Amino acid sequence: MREKKLHLKNVMKSFGGRKVVDIPELTLGTHGIEGLIGPNGAGKTTLINLITHKLKMDCGQILYYTNGDGIDISKKPIDEIARLGMVRTNQIIQDFQSLTIRDSLLLSLATPMYENFYNIFSERKLRKTVEQEIERYLDYFRFENPDGHALSAGEKKLLDIIRCLVLKPKVLLMDEPTCGLPQDQIELFIALMRKKTAEEGMTMLIVEHDLDLIWGVSENVYFMAEGEILIQGPPDEVRKNETVVTKYMGEGSA
Amino acid sequence: MGQILSGYYIYMLSILVVYIALATILHAQFGLTGIANFGLSAIWGFGMYACALLIVKLNIPFVPAVILATILTGVISMGISRIILDLDSQSVLVGTLAFLAIIETLVISEKWLTNGVMGLGPVNYPFDIGTYTKFVYFLIILIFTIVLLFYARKLESSPPGRLFLSIQDNEPLSQSLGKSTFRRKLVFFAFTSALAGFFGAMAAPIYKYLFPKYMGPAITFTLWIALILGARKRIFGGLVGVVATIGLFDVVLETVVPIPSKYAGILYNTKYFLYGLTLILVLMFRPSGILGEKARSINTANTGKIQKMEG
Repeated sequence: MREKKLHLKNVMKSFGGRKVVDIPELTLGTHGIEGLIGPNGAGKTTLINLITHKLKMDCGQILYYTNGDGIDISKKPIDEIARLGMVRTNQIIQDFQSLTIRDSLLLSLATPMYENFYNIFSERKLRKTVEQEIERYLDYFRFENPDGHALSAGEKKLLDIIRCLVLKPKVLLMDEPTCGLPQDQIELFIALMRKKTAEEGMTMLIVEHDLDLIWGVSENVYFMAEGEILIQGPPDEVRKNETVVTKYMGEGSA
Repeated sequence: MGQILSGYYIYMLSILVVYIALATILHAQFGLTGIANFGLSAIWGFGMYACALLIVKLNIPFVPAVILATILTGVISMGISRIILDLDSQSVLVGTLAFLAIIETLVISEKWLTNGVMGLGPVNYPFDIGTYTKFVYFLIILIFTIVLLFYARKLESSPPGRLFLSIQDNEPLSQSLGKSTFRRKLVFFAFTSALAGFFGAMAAPIYKYLFPKYMGPAITFTLWIALILGARKRIFGGLVGVVATIGLFDVVLETVVPIPSKYAGILYNTKYFLYGLTLILVLMFRPSGILGEKARSINTANTGKIQKMEG
């Protein structure tokens, strides 16, 4: 068990009268890797969007814990939350079409100081500072051409994850990270996840439909259906839970 | 020679260079950052009128007047951007266009201040060295424009340039990486608008007497056509576009080609027709402009270096 990273209180969100997320109380981030599962439309992505303030909550409060202090992030803009150390990857492929893979990572690694409009001579210094970090990732996940654009859906998805990883977040929320990735890359990705959480103290919350991955890597699993967290616990318990089996996995697929 | 250097040619060339500067500013705002500024000519005109008013009404010397006009334009632009830059790009377009309409109307109606359509002036050159005054002034503007082009070029391959591109491509994604995109856009818009104000102030003595039409929507549209024609994402897109439109039609056709005076009026109107036609043709056959897509060659060059170092 670790110290909690997120605490949600009375978090609610409706779209056109339909309640999509309704969580009276929830603590997240007490383990290195946590999984969030549930049938389509359960509100998993919406929950992530609420936590990172991509969507506004109807009501409720979200506290983010960093160095023991709880900060109310309910009203903080998405970029400030990211600077506090919590970032997210996207379910739907997101990319910068005019940036190459390397540029994308340089963008991610550039601190605000570099990005003042008059800092037009700082490129060399930035590259020197972050070159090694970028090379490490580019060597690890072999991209077709790191100086070109991310071409396949898999490359774009991977780039989305690496862009977040280079920020060295304290909390990383991932919405279906492995969807569209080739098998060998998934294995590399899992190994990296384990390393980051074990050695660097990163906390991850993964939304996934690939249940083998969830049972395999998460230390704690949340089961969500109809906007509510119904079950939580160690993966072995959750996968045997009757509600999870009937509502989600269906007969015989467990 | 002296006649050429002091006459109409040098006047046209000076205006041409100022327009190149403006188109380059538009490249930075729209081509790089994605801010659809349809009020550029008003921002430019604001600087121009501010400078002229400071000189004519308050007898402030030229250099401080230019500096003050530049700062004033920056402050005003900061104000506008606070209101409209948070909106989506179509609304930004409408908002800036509305600003243009407001400024132009004010300049026409507030005759006590601007002398309306009668013209405000005279704004004299800040120095007088006889025959070469206009030519030297042209060189000064040229130097400032080259500095601006240099800035645009360095910007593109620098951390702030990359940030601006990311804002244009996918602002929410950029934000999710911790970039305070709105504040960056605000400051950059104010800075580049201040630059437009600066070039406006510098243009005042070239015109000597200022008229509202110098800042009208026709100027903004011409600049937009020029930039799209040249290539909005390329640093020299504005330059190429301005030369291909204003350079070709206003300078070459009107001054070099002997056109009988009875057709002169037709030429003025035909000009906009031809701009439009050229634009349609370019968009049909070369949608990213005459210069084409941007090649991010800096990166490949850099990788080459790394590989060499390793070897």
